[in-house]
Amino acid sequence: MKNASKMIPCYSADTAGVCSAMYELGGMTVTHDASGCNSTYSTHDEPRWYDIRSDIFISALTEMDAIMGTDEKLISDTVKAAEDLHPKFITLCGSPMPMMTGTDFDAIAEEVERRSGIRTFAMHTNGTHSYIDGASEAMLAVVTEFVNECPKADGIGVNILGMTPLDFKWRGTSDLMKKWLGESGLEYISCLAMGSTLDEIKNAASAKVNLVVSYAGMASAEYMKDKFGIPYVCGVPFGIRAAESLADTIKKAAESGSSVLLAERSTDTCDTVIIGESINAVFLSSALYQELGISSSVICPLPTETRLLNSCDAEYLAEEDIEKALKELSPKTVIADPLYKSVIPKGTRLIGLPQFAFSGRCFEKHMPDLIYTDIKEYFK
Amino acid sequence: MIKLAIYGKGGIGKSTISSNISAELTRRGMKVMQIGCDPKADSTSLLCGKRIPTVLDLTREKGSRLTLDDAVYESPSGVVCVEAGGPVPGVGCAGRGIINALETLKKLGAYDVYKPDVVIYDVLGDVVCGGFSMPMRKGYADKVFVVTSGEKMSKYAAANICMAVENFRDRGYASLGGIILNRRGVRDEDEQAKELADDFHTSIIGTLDRSEEIQLADEQQKTVSEAFPECKAAKQLSLIADGVLASFK
Ligand SMILES: Nc1ncnc2c1ncn2[C@@H]1O[C@H](COP(=O)(O)OP(=O)(O)O)[C@@H](O)[C@H]1O
Ligand SMILES: [Mg+2]
Repeated sequence: MKNASKMIPCYSADTAGVCSAMYELGGMTVTHDASGCNSTYSTHDEPRWYDIRSDIFISALTEMDAIMGTDEKLISDTVKAAEDLHPKFITLCGSPMPMMTGTDFDAIAEEVERRSGIRTFAMHTNGTHSYIDGASEAMLAVVTEFVNECPKADGIGVNILGMTPLDFKWRGTSDLMKKWLGESGLEYISCLAMGSTLDEIKNAASAKVNLVVSYAGMASAEYMKDKFGIPYVCGVPFGIRAAESLADTIKKAAESGSSVLLAERSTDTCDTVIIGESINAVFLSSALYQELGISSSVICPLPTETRLLNSCDAEYLAEEDIEKALKELSPKTVIADPLYKSVIPKGTRLIGLPQFAFSGRCFEKHMPDLIYTDIKEYFK
Repeated sequence: MIKLAIYGKGGIGKSTISSNISAELTRRGMKVMQIGCDPKADSTSLLCGKRIPTVLDLTREKGSRLTLDDAVYESPSGVVCVEAGGPVPGVGCAGRGIINALETLKKLGAYDVYKPDVVIYDVLGDVVCGGFSMPMRKGYADKVFVVTSGEKMSKYAAANICMAVENFRDRGYASLGGIILNRRGVRDEDEQAKELADDFHTSIIGTLDRSEEIQLADEQQKTVSEAFPECKAAKQLSLIADGVLASFK
C-alpha cells in the first residue's frame, strides 16, 4: 500500500500547521472536530502550550452533528466564545469528518464574521495534508488581511517568514535570529509566526527583504513580492560563516530587488543525506559545505517546489521510497529526525536532528541550537 | 460567465434539458461547459453520443498526474463536457464524490482554461447531503433551475430543492432562477406547477410537452434539436434556453 507508514510516523497535519502559525497572534482558533482532538493539534504538536496562553478550541463535533449537518452549533458556539474573549480575529479549521460531509467553511466563516463583527478566516484543512500546507494557508491569510503599505524602515528591514516550532526549536531560536540580524547590520521587523505580535506583523511592509525560512512562508513571500515589491531570500542562518554569507545575500537582494532561492552547495558526490523540510534541509546542506566542506544531498518528504532543490536532491513522500532511495545512495551519514532510524540502512551513521512536526516532544531536550552558532562540533 | 445548476427528481429530464440548452446556446455562438454531477455519469451522453470517462475514475487511475485534457471532452457540436462520476450504487459516498470532482476541476483550472460563457451543472435530484449542494455554493452556480412535472413525487423533490436554496440564502449561495415544467400529462399540471412557483416566489421560465421525438432522439443518442430540428419539442427547448438567459438579465 503506497504512502502507508509502517515504521516512521507521519508529519503533523495541516490543522496543526494552522494552530501553530496562529498561536501567538492573539486570534481565536476553532477546529471543527470531535472532542479530545485538541491535544493532537495543540498539545502534542505545540511546545508553547504550557508557557504561552492561546485561545484554541475544538468544536466537539458529534456523530449526530455530522449526520444532521448542524453547522449552527459551530457558528453560535464560536460567536459566543468570541464575545467573551474579544480575539483579534477568528480562524476556523476543518478535519476529516467535515471533509466527508462537505462542510462549507467559507460560508460558515462569513456567517461567524457577520454575527460577531470579527474578521474570520476559513482554512481549507482536512487533516490529510501536511502542516506545511496548513501553516502556509494561515500565514498567507494573516499577511493578506493585516499587512498594508507603510513607510520603509531606515535600515535593511527583514521579515522572517515561515517560522513555527514545528520546524524550529522554540526556545532560543528567536533570540538567535535577532542577534544574527543585529550583528549583520540588518533590522528585525517581524517574524511570521514565532516570537512576534500581530502589531509587529502589521508593519511587515516596512521591510526591504523577506527571509523565507521554511516552505510554509513561501506563499506569503510571493504575495508580498507581488503586492509590495519586496524581494525574498530563502535561507536559514545555520552556523557562523554560512549565516554571514546569508546576511550578505539579503543585503544584495535589498539593493537589487531580486529574489534569491538557491543556496551555495557542493556539486561533488555526496556521502551525506539530510532528510527534512526543504528550505531547512537545503540550507543545512549549504552550511555543512561552507563550514565543514561536507557535500550532502537532500531528501524532502514534505510539500516543496523543485526550483528550491538541486538535481541531486529528491522529493519522496512515501516511506518505502525514502527507504529505497537511502539503500541506493548508501550514504555514510544521514542527518534526520531520530525516528527515521528504522528506515536507515544498517551501519549508516545517523546524526539526530529532532523536528517537532515529526517526533513531537520525544527529543525536545536534545534539540540543538544551530542558528548563528558554531555547528562544527555537532556534525563532526 | 453565466453559471447555472439544473436540479430535479431522478428521471424527470434534467440531462435531456441540460444537453439541449447546451447545444442550443453553443449554436448561438456561446462557449458552453456542461458538468454532469450525478454518479450515473450520463449527463452528456446525448451530446457526446457515448459515455465519457469521469473525473473520479480518472483521479483513481492517474492520481496527481490527472490533467484537464484527460477529464474534459469536447462534443462534436462543440460543447465542453465533463462527468464528475461517483461510486457504484450501494457503497462509498456519492456526495463526497461530487465535492472532490468539482474541487479537482477548479484546481486544474478548468474555468480559466476553457473560459466558458455558460457553465451548466446537471445535478442529481434529491439534495440528500452536503455534497449535492456543492454546485449551488459560492463560486459555482449563481442560479438554480428546478425541473418538475405535475406528479406528486416530482413536485416533492422540487419543493425540497427550492427549500434548500432558501435555507442557504444567507450564505451567498445560488438563488432560485425558476421552474422548468416538463409535462407528464397529469391533471391540472400547469396550475400545480404555478402553485409550486408561487410558494417559492419564483416563476415558470419554460415548459416542455411530452414528446415522441425526444424519445427517438434519445435512442439515437442525439439532442432533439439535432435529430428533429423542426419539431415542437426543439422549439420549446429553444424557448427554455431563452428563459434561462433572460433570468440572468
Ligand atoms: N418531454 C419528454 N418527452 C419524452 N421523453 C422525455 C421527456 N423528457 C425526458 N424524457 C425521457 O426521460 C428519460 C429520462 O430523462 P433524463 O434527462 O435522463 O432524466 P434525468 O437526467 O432527470 O435523470 C430519458 O429517456 C428522456 O428521453
Ligand atoms: Mg441525468
